[in-house]
Amino acid sequence: SSVISTSFDLKSYWSSLMCQINHKLDEAIPVNFPPQIYEAMRYSVLAKDAKRSAPVMCIATCELFGAHRSAAFPTACALEMVHAASLIHDDLPCMDDSPSRRGQPSNHTVHGVDMAILAGDALFPLGFHHIVSNTPSHLVPEPQLLRVIAEIARSVGSTGMAAGQFLDLEGGPSEVGFIQEKKYGEMGECSAACGALIAGAEDIDIEKLRRYGRAVGVLYAIVNDILRAKSKSKKESETKNRGKSYVEIYGIDKAVEFAEELKAKARAELDGFHHKYQERVFPLYGFVDYAMERNFSVVDAMA
Amino acid sequence: VKGSEEEKPGFNFDAYMLEKANKVNQALDEAVALREPEKIHEAMRYSLLAGGKRVRPMLCIAACELVGGSESVAMPSACAVEMIHTMSLIHDDLPCMDNDDLRRGKPTNHKVFGEDVAVLAGDALLSFAFEHIAVGTVGVSPTRVVRAIGELAKSVGAEGLVAGQVVDIASEGLSDVGVEKLEFIHLHKTAALLEASVVLGAIVGGGSDEEVEKLRKFARYIGLLFQVVDDILDVTKSSEELGKTAGKDLVADKTTYPKLLGIEKSREFAEKLNQDAQDMLSGFDPKKAAPLVALANYIAHRQN
Repeated sequence: SSVISTSFDLKSYWSSLMCQINHKLDEAIPVNFPPQIYEAMRYSVLAKDAKRSAPVMCIATCELFGAHRSAAFPTACALEMVHAASLIHDDLPCMDDSPSRRGQPSNHTVHGVDMAILAGDALFPLGFHHIVSNTPSHLVPEPQLLRVIAEIARSVGSTGMAAGQFLDLEGGPSEVGFIQEKKYGEMGECSAACGALIAGAEDIDIEKLRRYGRAVGVLYAIVNDILRAKSKSKKESETKNRGKSYVEIYGIDKAVEFAEELKAKARAELDGFHHKYQERVFPLYGFVDYAMERNFSVVDAMA
Repeated sequence: VKGSEEEKPGFNFDAYMLEKANKVNQALDEAVALREPEKIHEAMRYSLLAGGKRVRPMLCIAACELVGGSESVAMPSACAVEMIHTMSLIHDDLPCMDNDDLRRGKPTNHKVFGEDVAVLAGDALLSFAFEHIAVGTVGVSPTRVVRAIGELAKSVGAEGLVAGQVVDIASEGLSDVGVEKLEFIHLHKTAALLEASVVLGAIVGGGSDEEVEKLRKFARYIGLLFQVVDDILDVTKSSEELGKTAGKDLVADKTTYPKLLGIEKSREFAEKLNQDAQDMLSGFDPKKAAPLVALANYIAHRQN
């Protein structure tokens, strides 16, 4: 599989999709009464540093199978809404107590803890509502839509991202691999699986993309840890995130080795798609390389 | 006044309540099994299985049966509305919200499991409600299931439950909260989910659009009724009788119907809402409508 290397311009693909997604998210959350809640929701969903990785992954896997991206947009936006909801709640004082997120103060520091909880509570159902009321029914049959909803609900739920957050709060060092899987792997898996579901892909292909998405999500998180470890001072590494980073538990060398394994695994899952779908698989290879290399900034590309 | 005296002698409401509550409890117990990580599932189950009255699931099942559907068809939706109701209680009770220590006669979720787990348990119940309907509803066309999910999502979010909660928080301590605003709060905070309960039941039960809309109106009256009665009970009953902190609204300086209208006028308003609700059922087979009539009377005349 490693022979497939392309001149595909992921940066352009990603930034043009990002532009459309931002526009659709802006439209999806108009400010109605009571304005406080809509402002709080918009504050996090429309954060300008959001890379929209989940929606872009969803659309790319949908397009892989030749379906039109308009079929995937509502689900792509919903992924961003439920993701934002999770992040808002993760940042709360009783959870990670994070002062900032996506390059701006965290939701509760601006809108208050009560509004932050409610903004999250409103964004989960808004995601589901957005899917059922905006997905073109002539493009996506209802049974597939139900599978998409179940997929998203499961991945943010008590055995998915909520489990990851819980173990992150409570768990010891031995849990770190599992936590990374749950916190980052779930979103990648869910995004890739949803795109495939919307396109009406066969189960065997959905499973491949599920494993691909999970590997890319975890790869992304581990490379984050590696980059952070390389750049930060000793003092910083002793602060509260101690024990939650793969690098801190296993060391840089082992982390780099694991990253290489994940990269190979993610690419291996794409075997066969190139033969069937030609250049439509290129964005998916691009995500693997991006997760590993971070060779461009998609947020800067938008500016 | 239509009331309990007009109920069909053949209908035993207490037995109906007991039977449905048992079935709902069993379904909830099975739906939210104890899995890894255990503590978060324990927290979900702690509040979900705390023995609420199951008014919302019953409304859902009764509406489904009224339009000709079966109990099993409604059960996933019935469980889902109870999950969402429970989730809203868990989050409402948090220190940064209403800061309650007692709920359904037991310590609140965050008192037992901590605030972090309480937030996550609520989030997990919220998302699971949607998964449960999507996966668990059998024998209903996918079109109707999708429609039910849309209704539920709308009733919970910023257009529903959350909107009521936000306006409620913003109104605390204000002296000029009028009946109109109070009605907005309750139509969203309480009535929206009761409406969803009834509407979901009618949709999955195969009801026509006309039937769904009639039952929607019925539910809106019941929803408001529920809150007016709640307000009256808050000033007339003790904490022990209620199983939650009584007089909370007065302490928190919340606007209530008794405060705005006085106790007597509030009681008259409640009777009127009960009457309006039951008028919406007049077009249905009286025998099949008996559970909903009785539920309306129960909500109007309950003592806790």
